[in-house]
Amino acid sequence: MDVLVHGVLDAVRLLATGDEDTWSITALTLRISLTATAIALLLGVPAGAGLALGRFRGRRIMLAAANTGMGLPPVVVGLFVTVLLWRSGPLGELGLLYTPTAMVIAQAGIATPVVAALTAAALQQVDPDFVVQMRALGATRPRALAALLAEARLPLLAAGMAGFGAVVSEVGAAQMVGGNIEGQTRVLTTAAVLATSRGEFSLAIAFGILLLAIAFAVNLAVTIVQQRQTVRR
Amino acid sequence: MSIGCRDLVVSTGNRVLLDVAGLEVGAGTTLAVLGPNGAGKSTLLRALAHLGGMSRTGDVLLDGQPATASQLRAASAAVFQRPVLQRASVLDNAAAGLRLRGTARREARQLARPWLRALGVGHLADQPARTLSGGEAQRVAIARALAVGPRVLLLDEPFTGLDATSRADLIADLRTVLHRLGAAVLLVTHDREEARALADRTALLIGGRLRQVGGTAHVLDAPADPECASLLGYTTRLPPELTGCGELLVARPERCQLLDHAASLPPNTVAIDGTVRRTVPLGGTTRVDVDTAAEPVAVLTTAEVTALPGQAVRVAVDLEHVRRIPAAVLSSSGPPPSRNAATDPMD
Repeated sequence: MDVLVHGVLDAVRLLATGDEDTWSITALTLRISLTATAIALLLGVPAGAGLALGRFRGRRIMLAAANTGMGLPPVVVGLFVTVLLWRSGPLGELGLLYTPTAMVIAQAGIATPVVAALTAAALQQVDPDFVVQMRALGATRPRALAALLAEARLPLLAAGMAGFGAVVSEVGAAQMVGGNIEGQTRVLTTAAVLATSRGEFSLAIAFGILLLAIAFAVNLAVTIVQQRQTVRR
Repeated sequence: MSIGCRDLVVSTGNRVLLDVAGLEVGAGTTLAVLGPNGAGKSTLLRALAHLGGMSRTGDVLLDGQPATASQLRAASAAVFQRPVLQRASVLDNAAAGLRLRGTARREARQLARPWLRALGVGHLADQPARTLSGGEAQRVAIARALAVGPRVLLLDEPFTGLDATSRADLIADLRTVLHRLGAAVLLVTHDREEARALADRTALLIGGRLRQVGGTAHVLDAPADPECASLLGYTTRLPPELTGCGELLVARPERCQLLDHAASLPPNTVAIDGTVRRTVPLGGTTRVDVDTAAEPVAVLTTAEVTALPGQAVRVAVDLEHVRRIPAAVLSSSGPPPSRNAATDPMD
Protein backbone atom coordinates (compact mmCIF):
# COMPACT_ATOMS: atom_id res chain seq x y z
CA MET A 1 0.00 0.00 0.00
CA ASP A 2 2.91 2.28 0.80
CA VAL A 3 4.18 1.86 -2.75
CA LEU A 4 0.86 3.03 -4.14
CA VAL A 5 0.69 6.03 -1.80
CA HIS A 6 4.27 6.97 -2.62
CA GLY A 7 3.48 6.60 -6.33
CA VAL A 8 0.60 9.05 -6.09
CA LEU A 9 2.65 11.47 -3.99
CA ASP A 10 5.60 11.24 -6.39
CA ALA A 11 3.32 11.92 -9.33
CA VAL A 12 1.95 15.03 -7.64
CA ARG A 13 5.49 16.12 -6.73
CA LEU A 14 6.77 15.52 -10.27
CA LEU A 15 3.97 17.59 -11.75
CA ALA A 16 4.02 20.26 -9.07
CA THR A 17 7.76 20.78 -9.27
CA GLY A 18 7.52 21.01 -13.01
CA ASP A 19 9.94 18.18 -13.62
CA GLU A 20 11.15 18.86 -17.14
CA ASP A 21 11.63 15.24 -18.17
CA THR A 22 8.15 14.27 -17.04
CA TRP A 23 6.54 17.15 -18.88
CA SER A 24 8.50 16.45 -22.06
CA ILE A 25 7.52 12.77 -21.91
CA THR A 26 3.90 13.78 -21.36
CA ALA A 27 4.01 16.29 -24.19
CA LEU A 28 5.56 13.73 -26.56
CA THR A 29 2.94 11.16 -25.57
CA LEU A 30 0.18 13.61 -26.36
CA ARG A 31 1.79 14.72 -29.60
CA ILE A 32 2.30 11.20 -30.90
CA SER A 33 -1.06 9.84 -29.80
CA LEU A 34 -3.10 12.79 -31.05
CA THR A 35 -1.22 12.87 -34.37
CA ALA A 36 -1.71 9.13 -34.81
CA THR A 37 -5.40 9.48 -33.96
CA ALA A 38 -5.80 12.33 -36.43
CA ILE A 39 -4.19 10.26 -39.18
CA ALA A 40 -6.34 7.28 -38.22
CA LEU A 41 -9.43 9.47 -38.53
CA LEU A 42 -8.31 10.81 -41.90
CA LEU A 43 -7.77 7.28 -43.20
CA GLY A 44 -10.29 5.33 -41.18
CA VAL A 45 -13.41 7.47 -41.67
CA PRO A 46 -13.30 7.37 -45.49
CA ALA A 47 -12.36 3.69 -45.39
CA GLY A 48 -15.22 2.95 -42.98
CA ALA A 49 -17.60 4.99 -45.14
CA GLY A 50 -16.51 3.03 -48.20
CA LEU A 51 -17.10 -0.24 -46.37
CA ALA A 52 -20.49 0.89 -45.10
CA LEU A 53 -21.82 2.42 -48.31
CA GLY A 54 -19.86 0.76 -51.11
CA ARG A 55 -21.27 -2.02 -53.24
CA PHE A 56 -18.22 -3.94 -54.41
CA ARG A 57 -16.97 -7.48 -54.47
CA GLY A 58 -15.17 -8.46 -51.29
CA ARG A 59 -16.81 -5.77 -49.17
CA ARG A 60 -17.89 -8.19 -46.47
CA ILE A 61 -14.44 -9.73 -46.30
CA MET A 62 -12.89 -6.29 -45.95
CA LEU A 63 -15.43 -5.38 -43.27
CA ALA A 64 -14.55 -8.57 -41.40
CA ALA A 65 -10.86 -7.69 -41.78
CA ALA A 66 -11.47 -4.22 -40.36
CA ASN A 67 -13.38 -5.73 -37.45
CA THR A 68 -10.51 -8.14 -36.88
CA GLY A 69 -8.16 -5.17 -37.00
CA MET A 70 -9.87 -3.76 -33.93
CA GLY A 71 -8.09 -6.46 -31.99
CA LEU A 72 -4.79 -6.11 -33.82
CA PRO A 73 -1.92 -6.86 -31.38
CA PRO A 74 0.28 -3.72 -31.15
CA VAL A 75 3.36 -5.94 -31.11
CA VAL A 76 2.45 -7.31 -34.55
CA VAL A 77 2.03 -3.79 -35.91
CA GLY A 78 5.30 -2.78 -34.26
CA LEU A 79 7.06 -5.73 -35.82
CA PHE A 80 5.66 -4.95 -39.27
CA VAL A 81 6.62 -1.26 -39.08
CA THR A 82 10.05 -2.14 -37.73
CA VAL A 83 10.70 -4.47 -40.68
CA LEU A 84 9.51 -1.79 -43.09
CA LEU A 85 11.71 0.90 -41.58
CA TRP A 86 14.71 -1.30 -40.80
CA ARG A 87 17.90 -0.02 -42.35
CA SER A 88 17.83 -2.77 -45.01
CA GLY A 89 14.02 -2.73 -45.26
CA PRO A 90 11.86 -1.28 -48.05
CA LEU A 91 11.70 2.15 -46.38
CA GLY A 92 15.02 1.95 -44.57
CA GLU A 93 16.52 4.82 -46.54
CA LEU A 94 14.13 7.23 -44.86
CA GLY A 95 15.93 6.67 -41.56
CA LEU A 96 12.73 6.85 -39.55
CA LEU A 97 13.23 3.90 -37.21
CA TYR A 98 13.50 4.96 -33.53
CA THR A 99 11.95 8.36 -34.23
CA PRO A 100 8.60 9.81 -33.10
CA THR A 101 7.51 9.60 -36.76
CA ALA A 102 7.94 5.83 -36.69
CA MET A 103 5.85 5.73 -33.50
CA VAL A 104 3.13 7.81 -35.18
CA ILE A 105 3.13 5.43 -38.17
CA ALA A 106 2.81 2.38 -35.94
CA GLN A 107 0.13 3.89 -33.74
CA ALA A 108 -1.85 5.12 -36.75
CA GLY A 109 -1.63 1.54 -38.03
CA ILE A 110 -3.17 0.34 -34.77
CA ALA A 111 -5.92 2.96 -34.62
CA THR A 112 -6.99 3.06 -38.28
CA PRO A 113 -8.77 -0.33 -38.32
CA VAL A 114 -10.49 0.61 -35.05
CA VAL A 115 -11.75 3.89 -36.53
CA ALA A 116 -12.68 2.26 -39.86
CA ALA A 117 -14.65 -0.58 -38.28
CA LEU A 118 -16.49 1.71 -35.85
CA THR A 119 -17.18 4.24 -38.63
CA ALA A 120 -18.66 1.50 -40.80
CA ALA A 121 -20.83 0.35 -37.88
CA ALA A 122 -21.87 3.95 -37.14
CA LEU A 123 -22.89 4.69 -40.73
CA GLN A 124 -24.73 1.40 -41.10
CA GLN A 125 -26.92 2.39 -38.17
CA VAL A 126 -28.19 5.44 -40.04
CA ASP A 127 -31.35 4.96 -42.12
CA PRO A 128 -30.33 3.21 -45.37
CA ASP A 129 -32.35 5.75 -47.37
CA PHE A 130 -30.63 8.73 -45.75
CA VAL A 131 -28.22 9.50 -48.59
CA VAL A 132 -30.90 8.98 -51.24
CA GLN A 133 -33.21 11.33 -49.34
CA MET A 134 -30.52 13.99 -49.10
CA ARG A 135 -29.83 13.61 -52.82
CA ALA A 136 -33.56 13.84 -53.47
CA LEU A 137 -33.56 17.21 -51.71
CA GLY A 138 -30.94 18.53 -54.09
CA ALA A 139 -27.66 17.63 -52.36
CA THR A 140 -24.60 16.88 -54.44
CA ARG A 141 -22.94 13.57 -53.57
CA PRO A 142 -20.23 15.16 -51.36
CA ARG A 143 -22.85 17.22 -49.52
CA ALA A 144 -25.03 14.16 -49.01
CA LEU A 145 -22.05 12.25 -47.59
CA ALA A 146 -21.19 15.18 -45.33
CA ALA A 147 -24.78 15.17 -44.08
CA LEU A 148 -24.48 11.45 -43.42
CA LEU A 149 -21.31 11.94 -41.37
CA ALA A 150 -22.98 14.75 -39.45
CA GLU A 151 -25.96 12.48 -38.76
CA ALA A 152 -23.61 9.82 -37.36
CA ARG A 153 -21.47 12.31 -35.45
CA LEU A 154 -22.09 10.80 -32.03
CA PRO A 155 -20.89 7.28 -32.85
CA LEU A 156 -18.11 8.83 -34.96
CA LEU A 157 -16.87 10.70 -31.90
CA ALA A 158 -16.93 7.39 -30.08
CA ALA A 159 -14.83 5.92 -32.90
CA GLY A 160 -12.30 8.73 -32.42
CA MET A 161 -12.21 8.11 -28.67
CA ALA A 162 -11.69 4.39 -29.19
CA GLY A 163 -8.86 5.11 -31.64
CA PHE A 164 -7.16 7.46 -29.20
CA GLY A 165 -7.64 4.99 -26.36
CA ALA A 166 -6.03 2.25 -28.44
CA VAL A 167 -2.86 4.26 -29.11
CA VAL A 168 -2.32 6.21 -25.92
CA SER A 169 -2.30 3.04 -23.86
CA GLU A 170 -0.25 0.75 -26.08
CA VAL A 171 3.36 -0.03 -25.29
CA GLY A 172 4.46 -2.84 -27.59
CA ALA A 173 4.68 -0.95 -30.86
CA ALA A 174 5.97 2.24 -29.20
CA GLN A 175 8.80 0.27 -27.62
CA MET A 176 9.69 -1.61 -30.81
CA VAL A 177 9.71 1.24 -33.33
CA GLY A 178 10.61 4.06 -30.93
CA GLY A 179 13.27 2.31 -28.91
CA ASN A 180 12.36 4.24 -25.72
CA ILE A 181 15.24 6.69 -26.25
CA GLU A 182 15.40 9.22 -23.46
CA GLY A 183 14.51 12.71 -24.61
CA GLN A 184 13.57 11.50 -28.08
CA THR A 185 11.09 8.64 -28.18
CA ARG A 186 10.28 7.97 -24.55
CA VAL A 187 6.56 8.14 -23.89
CA LEU A 188 4.58 7.51 -20.72
CA THR A 189 3.90 3.84 -21.42
CA THR A 190 7.51 2.95 -22.27
CA ALA A 191 8.76 5.11 -19.39
CA ALA A 192 6.45 3.25 -17.00
CA VAL A 193 7.70 -0.11 -18.28
CA LEU A 194 11.31 0.99 -17.85
CA ALA A 195 10.73 2.33 -14.34
CA THR A 196 8.97 -0.92 -13.38
CA SER A 197 11.82 -3.02 -14.74
CA ARG A 198 14.21 -0.97 -12.62
CA GLY A 199 12.09 -1.46 -9.50
CA GLU A 200 11.17 2.24 -9.37
CA PHE A 201 7.56 1.48 -8.66
CA SER A 202 6.69 4.93 -7.36
CA LEU A 203 7.89 6.51 -10.58
CA ALA A 204 6.12 3.88 -12.69
CA ILE A 205 2.87 4.51 -10.84
CA ALA A 206 3.34 8.23 -11.30
CA PHE A 207 3.65 7.73 -15.06
CA GLY A 208 0.60 5.46 -14.97
CA ILE A 209 -1.47 8.08 -13.18
CA LEU A 210 -0.38 10.71 -15.68
CA LEU A 211 -1.37 8.38 -18.51
CA LEU A 212 -4.78 7.84 -16.97
CA ALA A 213 -5.19 11.56 -16.47
CA ILE A 214 -4.42 12.28 -20.14
CA ALA A 215 -6.77 9.57 -21.37
CA PHE A 216 -9.47 10.83 -19.02
CA ALA A 217 -8.99 14.49 -20.00
CA VAL A 218 -9.17 13.80 -23.73
CA ASN A 219 -12.16 11.49 -23.40
CA LEU A 220 -13.88 13.90 -21.03
CA ALA A 221 -13.57 16.70 -23.58
CA VAL A 222 -14.97 14.54 -26.37
CA THR A 223 -17.72 13.14 -24.13
CA ILE A 224 -18.83 16.65 -23.16
CA VAL A 225 -19.10 17.56 -26.85
CA GLN A 226 -20.93 14.31 -27.54
CA GLN A 227 -23.42 14.75 -24.73
CA ARG A 228 -24.06 18.36 -25.69
CA GLN A 229 -25.05 17.06 -29.13
CA THR A 230 -27.28 14.43 -27.55
CA VAL A 231 -29.14 17.02 -25.51
CA ARG A 232 -29.58 19.24 -28.57
CA ARG A 233 -31.07 16.58 -30.85
CA MET B 1 -41.65 23.70 -65.60
CA SER B 2 -42.81 20.32 -66.83
CA ILE B 3 -41.12 16.97 -66.23
CA GLY B 4 -41.37 13.94 -68.40
CA CYS B 5 -39.50 11.11 -69.97
CA ARG B 6 -38.88 9.56 -73.37
CA ASP B 7 -38.10 5.89 -73.96
CA LEU B 8 -37.20 5.45 -70.31
CA VAL B 9 -36.09 1.88 -69.60
CA VAL B 10 -34.80 0.73 -66.22
CA SER B 11 -33.42 -2.75 -65.83
CA THR B 12 -31.53 -4.90 -63.39
CA GLY B 13 -29.53 -7.73 -64.87
CA ASN B 14 -31.63 -9.06 -67.74
CA ARG B 15 -34.91 -8.03 -66.15
CA VAL B 16 -36.69 -4.89 -67.36
CA LEU B 17 -38.29 -3.15 -64.37
CA LEU B 18 -39.72 -0.21 -66.23
CA ASP B 19 -40.37 0.64 -69.86
CA VAL B 20 -42.12 3.95 -70.43
CA ALA B 21 -42.16 5.41 -73.92
CA GLY B 22 -43.39 8.82 -72.92
CA LEU B 23 -44.87 10.71 -70.03
CA GLU B 24 -45.29 14.37 -69.19
CA VAL B 25 -46.44 16.24 -66.13
CA GLY B 26 -47.14 19.89 -66.83
CA ALA B 27 -46.34 22.81 -64.56
CA GLY B 28 -49.04 23.37 -61.97
CA THR B 29 -50.58 19.95 -62.55
CA THR B 30 -50.49 16.72 -60.58
CA LEU B 31 -50.17 13.30 -62.16
CA ALA B 32 -50.90 10.26 -60.03
CA VAL B 33 -49.11 7.08 -61.01
CA LEU B 34 -51.32 4.30 -59.75
CA GLY B 35 -50.18 0.72 -59.67
CA PRO B 36 -50.12 -2.43 -57.58
CA ASN B 37 -47.14 -3.42 -55.44
CA GLY B 38 -44.09 -4.18 -57.57
CA ALA B 39 -45.45 -2.37 -60.64
CA GLY B 40 -42.40 -0.10 -60.85
CA LYS B 41 -43.98 3.06 -59.43
CA SER B 42 -41.10 3.95 -57.10
CA THR B 43 -38.63 2.91 -59.80
CA LEU B 44 -40.26 5.41 -62.16
CA LEU B 45 -40.06 8.17 -59.56
CA ARG B 46 -36.43 7.46 -58.75
CA ALA B 47 -35.53 7.18 -62.42
CA LEU B 48 -37.13 10.57 -63.11
CA ALA B 49 -35.05 12.08 -60.30
CA HIS B 50 -31.88 10.22 -61.38
CA LEU B 51 -31.72 8.61 -57.95
CA GLY B 52 -30.30 5.22 -57.13
CA GLY B 53 -27.77 3.11 -58.95
CA MET B 54 -30.13 1.71 -61.54
CA SER B 55 -29.24 0.78 -65.08
CA ARG B 56 -31.23 3.32 -67.05
CA THR B 57 -31.59 4.29 -70.70
CA GLY B 58 -33.68 6.99 -72.33
CA ASP B 59 -34.17 10.61 -71.41
CA VAL B 60 -35.70 12.47 -68.52
CA LEU B 61 -37.10 15.72 -69.85
CA LEU B 62 -37.50 19.13 -68.25
CA ASP B 63 -39.68 21.42 -70.34
CA GLY B 64 -39.39 18.87 -73.10
CA GLN B 65 -35.58 18.94 -73.22
CA PRO B 66 -33.28 16.15 -72.02
CA ALA B 67 -32.08 17.05 -68.54
CA THR B 68 -28.82 16.31 -66.77
CA ALA B 69 -28.68 14.93 -63.24
CA SER B 70 -27.63 18.29 -61.84
CA GLN B 71 -30.49 20.09 -63.62
CA LEU B 72 -32.93 17.55 -62.19
CA ARG B 73 -31.35 17.90 -58.76
CA ALA B 74 -31.80 21.67 -58.89
CA ALA B 75 -35.38 21.51 -60.15
CA SER B 76 -36.86 18.74 -58.06
CA ALA B 77 -37.44 17.55 -54.52
CA ALA B 78 -38.79 14.19 -53.44
CA VAL B 79 -40.72 12.85 -50.48
CA PHE B 80 -40.56 9.14 -49.79
CA GLN B 81 -42.83 6.68 -47.99
CA ARG B 82 -40.84 6.91 -44.79
CA PRO B 83 -39.90 10.36 -43.58
CA VAL B 84 -36.11 10.19 -43.22
CA LEU B 85 -35.40 13.02 -40.81
CA GLN B 86 -32.11 14.21 -39.40
CA ARG B 87 -31.01 14.25 -35.78
CA ALA B 88 -32.01 17.88 -35.35
CA SER B 89 -34.95 20.11 -34.52
CA VAL B 90 -38.08 20.12 -36.63
CA LEU B 91 -37.19 23.57 -37.98
CA ASP B 92 -33.67 22.52 -38.93
CA ASN B 93 -35.10 19.47 -40.66
CA ALA B 94 -37.50 21.63 -42.61
CA ALA B 95 -34.57 23.85 -43.55
CA ALA B 96 -32.32 20.91 -44.46
CA GLY B 97 -33.11 20.91 -48.18
CA LEU B 98 -32.22 24.58 -48.44
CA ARG B 99 -29.05 24.05 -46.38
CA LEU B 100 -28.03 21.21 -48.70
CA ARG B 101 -28.40 23.65 -51.59
CA GLY B 102 -26.08 26.13 -49.95
CA THR B 103 -28.52 28.54 -48.28
CA ALA B 104 -27.26 30.11 -45.04
CA ARG B 105 -28.73 28.67 -41.85
CA ARG B 106 -30.63 31.76 -40.76
CA GLU B 107 -32.18 32.34 -44.18
CA ALA B 108 -33.01 28.65 -44.58
CA ARG B 109 -34.85 28.67 -41.26
CA GLN B 110 -36.78 31.78 -42.24
CA LEU B 111 -37.82 30.25 -45.54
CA ALA B 112 -38.77 26.90 -43.99
CA ARG B 113 -40.91 28.18 -41.11
CA PRO B 114 -43.96 29.19 -43.23
CA TRP B 115 -44.05 25.74 -44.82
CA LEU B 116 -44.12 24.10 -41.40
CA ARG B 117 -47.09 26.31 -40.56
CA ALA B 118 -48.78 25.48 -43.88
CA LEU B 119 -48.45 21.79 -43.09
CA GLY B 120 -49.84 22.28 -39.59
CA VAL B 121 -46.64 21.57 -37.65
CA GLY B 122 -45.39 25.12 -37.08
CA HIS B 123 -45.91 24.76 -33.35
CA LEU B 124 -43.42 21.86 -33.27
CA ALA B 125 -40.59 23.86 -34.87
CA ASP B 126 -38.28 23.76 -31.85
CA GLN B 127 -38.91 20.14 -30.91
CA PRO B 128 -36.43 17.39 -31.69
CA ALA B 129 -37.55 15.61 -34.86
CA ARG B 130 -37.07 12.22 -33.21
CA THR B 131 -40.00 12.88 -30.88
CA LEU B 132 -42.58 13.29 -33.67
CA SER B 133 -45.36 10.86 -34.51
CA GLY B 134 -45.38 9.25 -37.96
CA GLY B 135 -47.93 11.72 -39.31
CA GLU B 136 -46.08 14.73 -37.92
CA ALA B 137 -42.78 13.46 -39.28
CA GLN B 138 -44.26 13.03 -42.75
CA ARG B 139 -45.64 16.57 -42.60
CA VAL B 140 -42.14 17.83 -41.74
CA ALA B 141 -40.67 15.80 -44.62
CA ILE B 142 -43.18 17.37 -47.02
CA ALA B 143 -42.48 20.87 -45.64
CA ARG B 144 -38.76 20.20 -46.12
CA ALA B 145 -39.32 19.35 -49.78
CA LEU B 146 -41.65 22.30 -50.38
CA ALA B 147 -39.27 24.74 -48.68
CA VAL B 148 -36.70 24.39 -51.46
CA GLY B 149 -39.28 25.79 -53.88
CA PRO B 150 -39.17 22.83 -56.25
CA ARG B 151 -40.47 23.25 -59.74
CA VAL B 152 -40.94 19.49 -59.77
CA LEU B 153 -42.24 17.67 -56.70
CA LEU B 154 -42.03 13.89 -56.53
CA LEU B 155 -44.17 12.16 -53.92
CA ASP B 156 -43.61 8.44 -53.34
CA GLU B 157 -46.60 7.09 -51.42
CA PRO B 158 -46.27 9.80 -48.75
CA PHE B 159 -49.42 8.71 -46.90
CA THR B 160 -48.41 5.09 -46.35
CA GLY B 161 -48.41 4.08 -42.72
CA LEU B 162 -50.58 6.97 -41.53
CA ASP B 163 -53.81 6.35 -39.69
CA ALA B 164 -57.02 7.21 -41.53
CA THR B 165 -57.58 10.55 -39.80
CA SER B 166 -53.98 11.77 -40.19
CA ARG B 167 -54.06 10.68 -43.81
CA ALA B 168 -57.28 12.52 -44.60
CA ASP B 169 -56.04 15.67 -42.85
CA LEU B 170 -52.68 15.55 -44.61
CA ILE B 171 -54.28 15.01 -48.02
CA ALA B 172 -56.46 18.05 -47.46
CA ASP B 173 -53.53 20.21 -46.35
CA LEU B 174 -51.35 18.94 -49.18
CA ARG B 175 -54.00 19.72 -51.76
CA THR B 176 -54.06 23.32 -50.55
CA VAL B 177 -50.28 23.78 -50.62
CA LEU B 178 -49.85 22.05 -53.99
CA HIS B 179 -52.31 24.50 -55.47
CA ARG B 180 -50.17 27.32 -54.07
CA LEU B 181 -46.87 25.79 -55.23
CA GLY B 182 -47.59 25.66 -58.95
CA ALA B 183 -45.06 22.88 -59.49
CA ALA B 184 -45.31 19.80 -61.65
CA VAL B 185 -46.20 17.08 -59.15
CA LEU B 186 -45.87 13.34 -59.64
CA LEU B 187 -47.65 11.32 -56.97
CA VAL B 188 -46.90 7.62 -56.80
CA THR B 189 -49.62 5.70 -55.01
CA HIS B 190 -51.57 2.48 -54.94
CA ASP B 191 -54.63 4.19 -53.52
CA ARG B 192 -57.35 5.35 -55.90
CA GLU B 193 -58.77 7.81 -53.40
CA GLU B 194 -55.41 9.61 -53.08
CA ALA B 195 -55.31 9.95 -56.85
CA ARG B 196 -58.88 11.16 -56.92
CA ALA B 197 -58.20 13.73 -54.19
CA LEU B 198 -54.95 15.16 -55.52
CA ALA B 199 -54.39 14.42 -59.17
CA ASP B 200 -55.64 16.13 -62.31
CA ARG B 201 -54.43 13.21 -64.38
CA THR B 202 -53.74 9.59 -63.56
CA ALA B 203 -51.53 6.99 -65.16
CA LEU B 204 -51.95 3.28 -64.51
CA LEU B 205 -48.65 1.43 -64.26
CA ILE B 206 -48.72 -2.34 -64.30
CA GLY B 207 -45.73 -4.61 -64.81
CA GLY B 208 -43.46 -1.63 -65.47
CA ARG B 209 -45.57 -0.34 -68.35
CA LEU B 210 -48.10 2.44 -68.60
CA ARG B 211 -51.46 0.96 -69.50
CA GLN B 212 -53.64 4.01 -69.35
CA VAL B 213 -53.09 7.76 -69.00
CA GLY B 214 -55.75 10.43 -68.81
CA GLY B 215 -57.92 12.63 -66.68
CA THR B 216 -58.26 11.11 -63.23
CA ALA B 217 -62.05 10.87 -63.28
CA HIS B 218 -62.02 9.19 -66.67
CA VAL B 219 -59.19 6.74 -65.96
CA LEU B 220 -60.60 5.65 -62.62
CA ASP B 221 -63.99 5.04 -64.18
CA ALA B 222 -63.09 3.43 -67.49
CA PRO B 223 -60.54 0.60 -67.25
CA ALA B 224 -58.94 -0.23 -70.56
CA ASP B 225 -58.08 -3.85 -69.90
CA PRO B 226 -58.74 -6.58 -67.31
CA GLU B 227 -55.66 -5.78 -65.21
CA CYS B 228 -56.49 -2.08 -65.12
CA ALA B 229 -60.02 -3.07 -64.12
CA SER B 230 -58.68 -5.17 -61.27
CA LEU B 231 -56.39 -2.32 -60.14
CA LEU B 232 -59.32 0.10 -60.15
CA GLY B 233 -61.52 -2.19 -58.04
CA TYR B 234 -63.59 -3.70 -60.85
CA THR B 235 -62.74 -7.16 -59.63
CA THR B 236 -65.99 -8.95 -60.38
CA ARG B 237 -65.70 -10.27 -63.91
CA LEU B 238 -68.68 -11.35 -65.99
CA PRO B 239 -67.07 -13.25 -68.89
CA PRO B 240 -68.57 -13.17 -72.41
CA GLU B 241 -69.38 -16.89 -72.39
CA LEU B 242 -71.78 -16.37 -69.45
CA THR B 243 -73.33 -13.06 -70.38
CA GLY B 244 -73.58 -13.64 -74.11
CA CYS B 245 -72.02 -10.21 -74.75
CA GLY B 246 -69.05 -9.91 -77.03
CA GLU B 247 -67.14 -8.07 -74.32
CA LEU B 248 -65.85 -8.77 -70.86
CA LEU B 249 -68.04 -6.99 -68.35
CA VAL B 250 -66.50 -5.93 -65.07
CA ALA B 251 -68.03 -4.41 -61.96
CA ARG B 252 -67.18 -3.51 -58.42
CA PRO B 253 -68.24 -6.29 -56.02
CA GLU B 254 -70.14 -3.79 -53.93
CA ARG B 255 -72.26 -2.92 -56.96
CA CYS B 256 -73.35 -6.55 -57.47
CA GLN B 257 -76.60 -7.95 -56.14
CA LEU B 258 -77.24 -11.51 -55.02
CA LEU B 259 -80.62 -12.83 -56.25
CA ASP B 260 -82.47 -16.09 -55.89
CA HIS B 261 -81.82 -18.31 -58.92
CA ALA B 262 -85.45 -18.16 -59.94
CA ALA B 263 -85.85 -14.42 -59.42
CA SER B 264 -86.76 -12.32 -62.42
CA LEU B 265 -84.18 -9.77 -63.42
CA PRO B 266 -84.79 -6.09 -62.75
CA PRO B 267 -84.69 -3.94 -65.91
CA ASN B 268 -81.29 -2.79 -67.21
CA THR B 269 -79.34 -5.45 -65.40
CA VAL B 270 -77.04 -8.21 -66.50
CA ALA B 271 -76.78 -11.44 -64.55
CA ILE B 272 -74.93 -14.72 -64.41
CA ASP B 273 -75.88 -17.91 -62.61
CA GLY B 274 -73.79 -19.78 -60.11
CA THR B 275 -73.71 -21.52 -56.75
CA VAL B 276 -72.60 -20.06 -53.44
CA ARG B 277 -69.21 -21.35 -52.38
CA ARG B 278 -68.95 -19.44 -49.10
CA THR B 279 -70.17 -16.37 -47.27
CA VAL B 280 -67.77 -14.30 -45.18
CA PRO B 281 -69.11 -11.67 -42.76
CA LEU B 282 -66.87 -8.55 -42.86
CA GLY B 283 -68.38 -6.34 -40.21
CA GLY B 284 -71.00 -4.17 -41.89
CA THR B 285 -70.84 -6.11 -45.16
CA THR B 286 -70.84 -9.72 -46.26
CA ARG B 287 -68.69 -11.15 -48.99
CA VAL B 288 -70.23 -13.94 -50.99
CA ASP B 289 -68.05 -16.01 -53.30
CA VAL B 290 -70.03 -17.58 -56.11
CA ASP B 291 -68.77 -20.33 -58.40
CA THR B 292 -69.90 -19.97 -62.00
CA ALA B 293 -69.34 -22.07 -65.09
CA ALA B 294 -66.39 -19.85 -66.02
CA GLU B 295 -64.71 -18.44 -62.93
CA PRO B 296 -65.59 -17.52 -59.35
CA VAL B 297 -67.06 -14.06 -58.76
CA ALA B 298 -67.36 -12.09 -55.55
CA VAL B 299 -70.26 -10.02 -54.28
CA LEU B 300 -70.07 -7.54 -51.41
CA THR B 301 -73.41 -6.72 -49.91
CA THR B 302 -74.78 -4.93 -46.90
CA ALA B 303 -78.08 -6.86 -47.20
CA GLU B 304 -78.76 -9.92 -45.11
CA VAL B 305 -77.48 -13.02 -46.90
CA THR B 306 -79.66 -16.09 -46.48
CA ALA B 307 -78.14 -18.20 -49.24
CA LEU B 308 -76.18 -21.20 -48.02
CA PRO B 309 -73.11 -22.77 -49.60
CA GLY B 310 -74.13 -24.93 -52.54
CA GLN B 311 -77.31 -22.97 -53.19
CA ALA B 312 -78.04 -21.75 -56.72
CA VAL B 313 -78.06 -17.95 -57.04
CA ARG B 314 -77.84 -15.20 -59.64
CA VAL B 315 -75.33 -12.40 -59.53
CA ALA B 316 -76.85 -9.29 -61.07
CA VAL B 317 -75.37 -5.89 -61.85
CA ASP B 318 -77.10 -2.75 -62.99
CA LEU B 319 -75.79 -1.90 -66.45
CA GLU B 320 -74.95 1.57 -65.17
CA HIS B 321 -72.28 0.02 -62.95
CA VAL B 322 -70.86 -2.29 -65.57
CA ARG B 323 -67.69 -1.42 -67.49
CA ARG B 324 -66.91 -3.08 -70.80
CA ILE B 325 -63.53 -4.43 -71.89
CA PRO B 326 -63.55 -4.84 -75.68
CA ALA B 327 -62.91 -8.30 -77.09
CA ALA B 328 -59.98 -6.93 -79.06
CA VAL B 329 -58.16 -6.18 -75.81
CA LEU B 330 -58.95 -9.63 -74.44
CA SER B 331 -57.66 -11.39 -77.53
CA SER B 332 -54.44 -9.39 -77.73
CA SER B 333 -51.48 -11.33 -76.42
CA GLY B 334 -50.22 -9.81 -73.20
CA PRO B 335 -50.59 -6.29 -71.95
CA PRO B 336 -50.49 -3.36 -74.36
CA PRO B 337 -47.08 -1.73 -74.26
CA SER B 338 -46.77 1.78 -72.91
CA ARG B 339 -46.10 3.07 -76.39
CA ASN B 340 -49.75 2.32 -77.12
CA ALA B 341 -51.04 3.33 -73.72
CA ALA B 342 -54.74 3.93 -73.85
CA THR B 343 -55.64 7.56 -73.39
CA ASP B 344 -58.86 9.38 -72.94
CA PRO B 345 -60.11 11.74 -75.63
CA MET B 346 -59.04 14.77 -73.60
CA ASP B 347 -55.36 13.95 -73.91
